[in-house]
Amino acid sequence: MTVLTLEGIDLGEGRLQVDRLEFSEGRKTIVFGPNGAGKTTLLRLVAGTLRGGRAAAAAYLPQRPFAFRGSAQHNLALGLDDQATATAGKIAARLGVDRLLAQPAATLSGGERQRLALAATLARPEPAVLLDEPLAAIDARDRSDVAAVVSAAIGGRTAVVVTHDVETAVALGDEIIVLVDGRVRQRGQVAEVLSLPADETVAGVLGVSNLIVGSVTDADDSLVAVAGGPMKVWGIGSVEKGGAAAAMFSAEAVTVFAGDIEGAGSARNLWAGVVVEVRPLGRLLEVVVDAGQRVVAVLTPGSVDALDLSAGSAVSLAVKATAVRVVAA
Amino acid sequence: MDFLGDVVRDALDVLGAFGSEISEVLWLTLLVSAIATVIGVGLGIPLGVALGLGRFRGRGVLMALVNTGMGIPPVLAGLLLLLLLWNDGPLGSWGLLFTPTAMVIAQALLAIPIAAGVTAGAVRGLSFDAHEHIRALRLPPASRGALAAREAWPGLVAGAAAAFGRVVSEVGAVLVVGGNVKGETRVLTTAIVQETRQADFGTALALGFLLLLVALAVNGVLTWIQFREER
Repeated sequence: MTVLTLEGIDLGEGRLQVDRLEFSEGRKTIVFGPNGAGKTTLLRLVAGTLRGGRAAAAAYLPQRPFAFRGSAQHNLALGLDDQATATAGKIAARLGVDRLLAQPAATLSGGERQRLALAATLARPEPAVLLDEPLAAIDARDRSDVAAVVSAAIGGRTAVVVTHDVETAVALGDEIIVLVDGRVRQRGQVAEVLSLPADETVAGVLGVSNLIVGSVTDADDSLVAVAGGPMKVWGIGSVEKGGAAAAMFSAEAVTVFAGDIEGAGSARNLWAGVVVEVRPLGRLLEVVVDAGQRVVAVLTPGSVDALDLSAGSAVSLAVKATAVRVVAA
Repeated sequence: MDFLGDVVRDALDVLGAFGSEISEVLWLTLLVSAIATVIGVGLGIPLGVALGLGRFRGRGVLMALVNTGMGIPPVLAGLLLLLLLWNDGPLGSWGLLFTPTAMVIAQALLAIPIAAGVTAGAVRGLSFDAHEHIRALRLPPASRGALAAREAWPGLVAGAAAAFGRVVSEVGAVLVVGGNVKGETRVLTTAIVQETRQADFGTALALGFLLLLVALAVNGVLTWIQFREER
C-alpha cells in the first residue's frame, strides 16, 4: 500500500503552491504543464531529493539522467540487487539498448542514455514510480514503442509521470493534473481533461482540442483509423489493429462547411454534425459541433458570418488525416 | 659570484658523495611523509565526501573547521601535539615524543584537512544532474559516498597530491615533535634548517634539491594517474 501525497507546499508567488495532492493508488497520474509550471519541483518534492521533501518509497527517474563513470552495464546495475539487475537487462533489451551495455555510459547518445536510465529505474523494487519527462529525449517515431514498454514495466504500481507532451500524457496516463504557474488548474481522466479543458488557460496549455478515444479498426502503410463511438478518424500513427488508441487534432485543423457536402475534397475525415455552441476565443471564435462526439473548430468571425453559423446549424467537418496524431492509449 | 659558485660546487660534491647520512634522512622523509599522507588521505577523503554530499546538521561548522585546518601553521599543530605528548601531558605515558611516530601523527593531522577540503570541493563540484541522480538511486550512505568519490576521482587525486605536498615540505611540526635528532628524527626539511643555521649552504642546497626531486617524483605519478583516462 503506497499513497503518495504532497501537502502544505508553498514556495512563494508564481512558484509551486499545493494545499494537498494525493496520487491515486495503482494508477498512472500525469503531471502536465508548460515550462516553469513547477512540475519537476513537484516530483522532486515527492521523491525527496529537494530539500524539505519527504522521500517516498519510489523509484525516481530525474529529468536529465546522469551517465556515471564506467560501462552502461555498471550504470544499469547501480543500486540494484542481482534480481533487479536482471529485470533491468530485460527492459533494456525491450528498449533496444542491451547491445550497448559494454560501452562506456558517457559515449551513449541522449536517447540511449534515457532508455538505459528508464530500464534501471523501472526495474527498481519500490511500489511506486516517479518519471520526469521519460520520453523527452526519445525520437518522435520511437515514442509510442518506448511508451508501451514503460507502461508495461510500470504494471500496477502507482506512478507519477511529469511531461509537457500531450502524446506522452495520453500514452502513459490514466489521470492528469494540469499545473500552471505552480497551481493545479485541473485534474481528471486524461481523455476527459483533454476534450474538456476547464478553462482557456488549460486549453491553451494542452494545445489539443479534439480527442477521440477508441480502438484501431483499419491500418494501412502510414495511416490508421480509430473508431470511437459513432466517429471514425484517420490519422498518422503506428498502433496495431485492434489496439486501444487516441486520435488527436487541434481545433485549427478542422475545416467547417455549411450543410452536407458528401464526398468533397481529399480529406479522409469528413463528418456531418450540428453546431452546439459558438463562443469567443480571443479575437477568434470557437465552434463546438456535435458530430457523434464533440469536435471543436476555430474560425474567424468573418467565416462564421459567411457560413451563418449558430447553435443548431447543420455543418460538415473536414480534417486532413496528416493533421491527426494517433497514439496507443 | 664566487660565493654562489662555491655553494653550488659544494652542493654537487655532497650529492656526488651521497653518504649514508643523507640517504638515511631521505629515507626517513619518504617514510614519515608517505605514511602521514596515507593516514591523512584515508581519513580526509571520507570526511570530504561526506561534507561534499551530505545535508546533515553541523556541516557548515565542520566545513569551516576543515578550511581553517587547511591553513593552520604547521608549527602550531606541532606545538599542540607536543603539549599532549609531553611527559607530564595527557598522553605523555605513550612515550612518543621525539620519535618518528610523533612526526607521522603531526603530519597526518596536517594532511587530513587538506585531503578533506579538496575532496569536498571536488564532490560539491559534481553537476546538479549527478547529485540528483545519486540521490535518486537511494543508496546506503557508504555506497553513495563511494559512487560520488568514483565520480570525483581526479579531484581526490589532487587532494592526495596537495596533502603530500603539504607534509613533505613542512618543517615546523616535525621539528617541534621530532626534535631533529641526528639519525633518528632528522628529515630533509629539518636538516636544511640545521645546515643553513651552521652556514653549510652547499649541504643545505643539496638537501633542498633532493626535496624538490621527491615532490616531483610523487606528483609526477599522481598526475599520470589523473590524466590516464583522458588518453
